Amino acid sequence: MKNPILEAKGISKSFGNIKALDDVDFFLEKGIIHGLLGENGAGKSSLMNILSGIYIPEKGTLTINGQLIKRLNPDLASSYGIGMVHQEFRLIDSFSIKDNLTLSKSNIYQNDFSEAFSKYSDIFALNLNAMTPVSELSVGEKQKVEIMKLIFHNSSIMLLDEPTAVLTPQETVQLKESLETLSQEDEKTIVLITHKLKEIKDFTETIYVMKNGKMVAKDLDTKTVSDTQLIELMMGEVKTSKFDKNNFKGDTKLEAVDISFTNEQNIKTLQNVSLEIKSGEVLGVAGVSGNGQVELANIICGIIKDFEGRVIVKTKDVTGKGVKSRKKLNLSYIPENRLGVGLAPGVSVLDNSAIKEYFQASFGPHLSKNVLLNSLNDLINKFSIKAPDVKAEISTLSGGNMQKLLMGRELISNPDVIIAAQPTRGLDVSAVDSIHNLIIDQRDKGSAILLISEDLDELFKLSDRLIVMYEGKVITEIETELATVENIGLAMAGINE
Amino acid sequence: MNKFLLSKKLYRNELATFYSFLIGFLIAIIVGSIILLIQSKNPFDVFSLMLKLSIGSLNSLSNSLNKAIPLILAGLGIAIINSVKLWNIGAEGQIFFGAIALNFVYINTSIENSYLYIFLLLASGFIGGSVCILLPALSKVLFGVNEIITTLLTNYIVFGLTIYLINGVWKDPNSLNFPAAAYVSESVYLPTVFGKLSSGFLICILFTLIAYYIKDKSVFGYEMRIAGGSALTAIYAGISAKQKAFIAMLIGGGFAGLAGAIELLSQTHRVSTGISQGFGYTAIIVAAITGMRPLGIFLVGSLFGALAIGGSVIQTIGVSSYISDIIQATTLFGALIAQFFFSYEIKRVKDD
Amino acid sequence: MIDIQFLGLVNATLQAATLLFIAALGELIAEKSGVLNLGVEGMISIGAVSGFITAINTENLFLSIIVGIVSASLFSSIHAFVTVILKQDQTVSGLILTILGLSLSSLIGKKYVGKKLNTKLEGVFDIENPSNILEIILAQNIIFYIAIILMIVTAFVLKRTMFGRRIEAIGEDLKSADSMGLKIGKTQFIATCVGGAFAGLSGVYLTLSYVPYWTDGMTSGRGWIALALVIFGGWKPYRTAFGALLFGFLEALGPRLQTYGFEMSPYIVKITPYVITILVLIVLTILKNGNTGAPKNIGIPFFRENR
Repeated sequence: MKNPILEAKGISKSFGNIKALDDVDFFLEKGIIHGLLGENGAGKSSLMNILSGIYIPEKGTLTINGQLIKRLNPDLASSYGIGMVHQEFRLIDSFSIKDNLTLSKSNIYQNDFSEAFSKYSDIFALNLNAMTPVSELSVGEKQKVEIMKLIFHNSSIMLLDEPTAVLTPQETVQLKESLETLSQEDEKTIVLITHKLKEIKDFTETIYVMKNGKMVAKDLDTKTVSDTQLIELMMGEVKTSKFDKNNFKGDTKLEAVDISFTNEQNIKTLQNVSLEIKSGEVLGVAGVSGNGQVELANIICGIIKDFEGRVIVKTKDVTGKGVKSRKKLNLSYIPENRLGVGLAPGVSVLDNSAIKEYFQASFGPHLSKNVLLNSLNDLINKFSIKAPDVKAEISTLSGGNMQKLLMGRELISNPDVIIAAQPTRGLDVSAVDSIHNLIIDQRDKGSAILLISEDLDELFKLSDRLIVMYEGKVITEIETELATVENIGLAMAGINE
Repeated sequence: MNKFLLSKKLYRNELATFYSFLIGFLIAIIVGSIILLIQSKNPFDVFSLMLKLSIGSLNSLSNSLNKAIPLILAGLGIAIINSVKLWNIGAEGQIFFGAIALNFVYINTSIENSYLYIFLLLASGFIGGSVCILLPALSKVLFGVNEIITTLLTNYIVFGLTIYLINGVWKDPNSLNFPAAAYVSESVYLPTVFGKLSSGFLICILFTLIAYYIKDKSVFGYEMRIAGGSALTAIYAGISAKQKAFIAMLIGGGFAGLAGAIELLSQTHRVSTGISQGFGYTAIIVAAITGMRPLGIFLVGSLFGALAIGGSVIQTIGVSSYISDIIQATTLFGALIAQFFFSYEIKRVKDD
Repeated sequence: MIDIQFLGLVNATLQAATLLFIAALGELIAEKSGVLNLGVEGMISIGAVSGFITAINTENLFLSIIVGIVSASLFSSIHAFVTVILKQDQTVSGLILTILGLSLSSLIGKKYVGKKLNTKLEGVFDIENPSNILEIILAQNIIFYIAIILMIVTAFVLKRTMFGRRIEAIGEDLKSADSMGLKIGKTQFIATCVGGAFAGLSGVYLTLSYVPYWTDGMTSGRGWIALALVIFGGWKPYRTAFGALLFGFLEALGPRLQTYGFEMSPYIVKITPYVITILVLIVLTILKNGNTGAPKNIGIPFFRENR
């Protein structure tokens, strides 16, 4: 390393008993796009949160521009020129773009805002009035404003956490061009955090790889490093299962007919969606999030009752009926939002484990704790969940164990129909693998499974058929064998060849 | 790098709430002592007198426990409502309304069997409390109106209504200087158990167990916990959060109304402004300080009852009775401060 | 010729409104920064009693106003300490602040119950017998004018200055505000204490002008009406002022109903403002479909490492 603009050495950080970062070193060079590769849960975001002053490390040193940093918080980090774009955007929805860009004390374009805004609007191909409230922006536009915010804050080091996760393949290409302009013309130092191999090869000059809270490779030259090398570093020894697709398909278990839905904001989020899943079949739903997937799942599961069209579970028409009608027909729903929908925060592990079938532990008004405890112990054993204290709050579990508890709870009754939305998002490799095995097991037991995911690898691996949703419509339906990543990617962007 | 590091503890000590209460109480005693010193009173003398006159004899102990009844019952009501993460600041009004409802039923009915009559009157107190919270409850579940403000404002309305009744239609002509309704017949007085201890205290124990059962052992309590944890999870689970909230509020209001009924049948024997002396507000402290646990509410309510008796008797030596109110409020502030240290960890980080 | 009763009504409306408005405006500032302080009633009470005692003992009204403001502000710092620094529940802390404030002020003020103030805040302009609305307005005392200035300044600062936008940014979205490098703890602490200072001024107005004596519980729920006013005003200073005038009018109208030919028990008249406050809140919430315009992150303790 020639002349690092930032040096982090020996950084360690724990959350409770979970070691998020273990003795991590990281170097950045001026004017270069760095890649930080790693599986979900490898510690990438934690490291970035430390560099931007949000988390305080227990150990380690940080040197910026040769100066040893004694104290760091977001304010100080930004004065050292470090800025970060988080996966969940840090934009105030009710404020205008201009307010969001200029409220920080480190804003350098206080007086010549409009010039700067139009200059960077060009670079980012953003065609918007600065007084537009952020709430009116699309996800892609919000991200552009987020990156622009870093420029306005005079950040010379820009940390971008999974920026492409919310973008279509075409928007991703556009982002690449903007970032190249920034690094070449403005000498910005950029860190691109991702778990996608293709992007890290496309975007960056040098690559760092993290695994299980450790930095397993530093400063690899993007041009010379091979894909297999990166995969080995990133995944380590974990073997991911490969599943055969010779599964037997039986009768139709779930049918959605011509479903349309207009939400409270009067936006038509679903238009004439129809689908059919047979026993022993996995139907994958691809699409950038926000294209109607959540609404579709909620309609099928009875959470949304006011829609057009029909839902048929096991030959029974349940249109207009509520959640309980589906429970009776043994339909399980693993919602996208794990903590907040599937599991209730602030409530104990035990209580959360019973949400699906607590009434089975009831005797009149009485709820038997013993019955609940026994069922929970079953879950813990069957799905190897690590739950040190079942009376403690659900948030004491790690993300992977939370998801296993949720999946276990929904799957233990051997459901006829399963709706699973983003079942592996944010989990580490081994957790992902065991979740995948659970889904395939259940398929082989004869469940009809609707799998909603943004992870194309996952969809290709598990699904028998794929549909792509775009702006509330099914724009492609194809057997997985016949699909390619390219045509699915284009369909996700709304281009249907 | 940084010298101090604040992090959230993953596990809280199970007895954290209890320890926090003790620490808070200690802080409150210190604060109370300082106030007494400023008024040039010897805190030790004052506190030992308070102790003697609140639990020193069978009579004073039963006075203290009688005082605890409304604190405990209203506190339990607040705790039940808080299971769905809603606040009932209207216990004070519900206590009064329970007494008003009782008197209304008493005036308009007559039953020979006094046990049956007492039961009917207590039940009407409970229903009165529920009726009193009906408007806040309906406006909360139907329209989402902030229940803190509506329940609180109800207190002023019910208090005004009480004054209106005891100065108007219900005014007892025999009570000349002090506006109050007529006394109820001695046949419906709640009998005493021993000393001056009212059998209302037994009802109080019963309802503590009922509240404990509802919150911790029943299907309804479970559904309230899930609905209180996350409205979205409740929808997902097919639990109607609004229905749970509505029922919880009616039950909680009923507990406070029952407190008013017991207060009337065992202490004041008539509707007057003396039905409650801020019990509904003290009950908020009692409930909050115990983390909304019924058994804790029973214990802390009993202690605060003794404190209130102690506070009222020390007036005779020229110490303001407000000192016990201040001790109660400061206990909760002290407990909140202590809670911080149980929920967060402050580590010292060495420079490398 | 405007009748004298009507002028009396206008005068009483302005006074009742001033009292409610200042407290509401203070709460509005605290809430904009994301701190819900249910202790308004207690803070008004502290301001009222400390101002009154100072006035009795020194007969210096200016000093009394300052003492009232400062003591209520210091008192509100308990809430700021417990909720902002120690990140405890804002609802619990605020409620206890009210209970503590009421009992503390009763304790302090015990010796002064029934004493009458020799001096009283006089009108800014010396008008003997006001004969029209303009003269009624001119005859109001200094705190009325301070309230108007505070309204304009607060509205301007919140809407038009960077400082105000930053306060609002914090109440709207803690994490985003933090990523902008805004000082959340400091801002919330100060906003809470400013809210306390405003409540103190409202309390001083109560005992030095509105009803120039001290008695237990004389705030009689005005702090809670002020809280309702913030919701009524949709967290906007001018609308809150309008709400204060409306509620002030109702409070002033009650005792005068009889003179306008309505036969009503004075006890029932007394409770009408509370009934109307509840009804207005309900109607307003229905009209706005549950979305009252509250700062989105109100009541949430900020801890940066929360995941």
